[in-house]
Amino acid sequence: MKYLLIILFIALLFASCKKEEEKTAANPEGKIVFHFLHQVDGQDLDIDTMKYVNAAGNHYLINEIQYFISDVTLHLAGGGSILIDEWKDIHYVDTDIPSTHTWEVYDAIQAGSYEYISFTFGISEEKNHSFMYVNPPESFMFWPEYLGGGYHYMKLNGKWLNEDLFIEPFDFHLGIGQILDTAGQITGFVHNDFEVVLPGSAFTLQSGETIDIDIIMNIENWFQDPNLYDHNIWGGYIMQNQEAMHVACENGWNVFEVGYGL
Amino acid sequence: MRLDSDKILKIASLAALALVVVLFGSCSKDNDPEPIPAGYKPTPYTIEIPFGFPTKLNIPEDNPMTVEGIELGRYLFYDGRISGRTHPDSLMSCATCHIQENSFECGINHPVYQGGFTHGITGIPTPHVMLPLVNLIWNHSGFLWNGKIYPENPEAHFRNIEDLVWMGIVAPHEMNSDTNRAKALIQSTPGYPELFEKAFGTPVVTVDRMGKAIAQFIRTFISANSKFDRYMRGEVQLTASELSGYVLFTTEEGADCFHCHGAAGNPLFTTHLYYNNGKDSIFNDPRDRYAVTGDPNDKGAYKATTLRNIELTGPYMHDGRFATLEDVVEFYSHGLVWSPQIDPLMHHIANGGTQLTAQEKANLIAFIKTLRDDEFLSNPAFSKPEKMP
Repeated sequence: MKYLLIILFIALLFASCKKEEEKTAANPEGKIVFHFLHQVDGQDLDIDTMKYVNAAGNHYLINEIQYFISDVTLHLAGGGSILIDEWKDIHYVDTDIPSTHTWEVYDAIQAGSYEYISFTFGISEEKNHSFMYVNPPESFMFWPEYLGGGYHYMKLNGKWLNEDLFIEPFDFHLGIGQILDTAGQITGFVHNDFEVVLPGSAFTLQSGETIDIDIIMNIENWFQDPNLYDHNIWGGYIMQNQEAMHVACENGWNVFEVGYGL
Repeated sequence: MRLDSDKILKIASLAALALVVVLFGSCSKDNDPEPIPAGYKPTPYTIEIPFGFPTKLNIPEDNPMTVEGIELGRYLFYDGRISGRTHPDSLMSCATCHIQENSFECGINHPVYQGGFTHGITGIPTPHVMLPLVNLIWNHSGFLWNGKIYPENPEAHFRNIEDLVWMGIVAPHEMNSDTNRAKALIQSTPGYPELFEKAFGTPVVTVDRMGKAIAQFIRTFISANSKFDRYMRGEVQLTASELSGYVLFTTEEGADCFHCHGAAGNPLFTTHLYYNNGKDSIFNDPRDRYAVTGDPNDKGAYKATTLRNIELTGPYMHDGRFATLEDVVEFYSHGLVWSPQIDPLMHHIANGGTQLTAQEKANLIAFIKTLRDDEFLSNPAFSKPEKMP
């Protein structure tokens, strides 16, 4: 009798795995892996090299880029959408930390045809709260409470050749902006996060399939379309310059594009 | 030979059990190369994480925190015989230079090391001034001014706080001893074998175990009860000057300290990362960050120090060029020097600095002084034991 119980126990162990398979068959699902790439003018980013020229004619280099994307949403071809949020809904990307360049999404994604992908650049107002990250590197992205709190949407650090032919640092930092009164006192805040709809991001996910999706940041687009962003006008720091952040965020609509496979 | 049904059942179940053991056993961790002695039951030590501090701790898997390990580490930290010598004039311990009242740094008021410039037992100056031993349990990005000691270092003996112990023993500009003398002397000192037995399950003294014990003790050095911490917990109010200083500290158009030195959102008050902060335009220090990474952009870059207890840890910068906080603030306000390697976060460089007024400088310093943690500086748990082995 005791041997029968042992065999029954082991059979149950293996049966529990089989159930998962059956569940998958009943609800066809696949997986998504996002890869984050950073390019300038169609070429992979070459860090710390003063070889780029933006639309305003500024010669510039990029030292590092750190940013959040959140609320990635997959829009079904037949209507409806799926929000990626089971394990995490905010993803941090850091050009200095290769492990952040890949996001293996925890959520099992319903198989089917998807019309497009969208996400929030930065963190939305309802989720961007101070102290929600205590561990680096995300915690290093905090945005001071005096300036609105929460976290930087992005730190894009580099240098440009200014009008005096002086190589000057710029910190293209985006986050919550401030509304000032005539005396320069802060009277309110502006949440500059914005939705990105990835062009050409339709895809089909087969049951049991894992699909790789590249999300490419075209860095030069931060500085053009619809607004020419001239470092000589906006200077090296903009966290307290809502006008500059607004201009930059308006340019963000076509900064990202999608690619499939590696 | 015929098998009856009971036997078949028995064999089948045993075979299945064996399969399960193999399947699940293959997932188990490799055996520890150093078996744990029977009867060795150290008491786990739990780190209490203060509000807002990181939950990821720098505790190596092979050196868990224990009450007994920390106790041993405390004795060793304060014992001049760790230098392998017994003559009173030649004793040197960690605490010879790492003074609790100065945030386990030398400080500018040290009776021997004038102006905070340390030297080894034979008089050889240390290449850089000291860094404090505070909140290092949250440092994952390297130790020393250039981060030469870091967890992923291919050289296994240059990875963590543990390794700073043997380095201190042998360095000519520190104890100038050798590890055999050090461990032999500690081994022969009555009381220590028993402490090692309690901490590591063996009375045998090794430099590796000495390093582990001292590192455990150092990992308990947590400073999280400064006036600023109490302000963040709603227990005290900052003065108007201190609040103005905090606004300057956390604004780009002010003093812009926070990107490298943290604030409420990063209560370590450092990123533990490395920056060229605009001190020089010519770089010839063989111990800068470039010496570790080989990246020319890292020339002249050094660790951003924590600002906790910073008023007690002068002189400032890697070479101690500034004696006071006033000197440092003046440098960032008006004294920045451009070089191709200057960090992009030093965006005030075109103006030579942040251009703070005299009142703004005073307010900024008033805020920075709220980071002094008197409880930490006098915590008896960190002090020299009343009686040494």
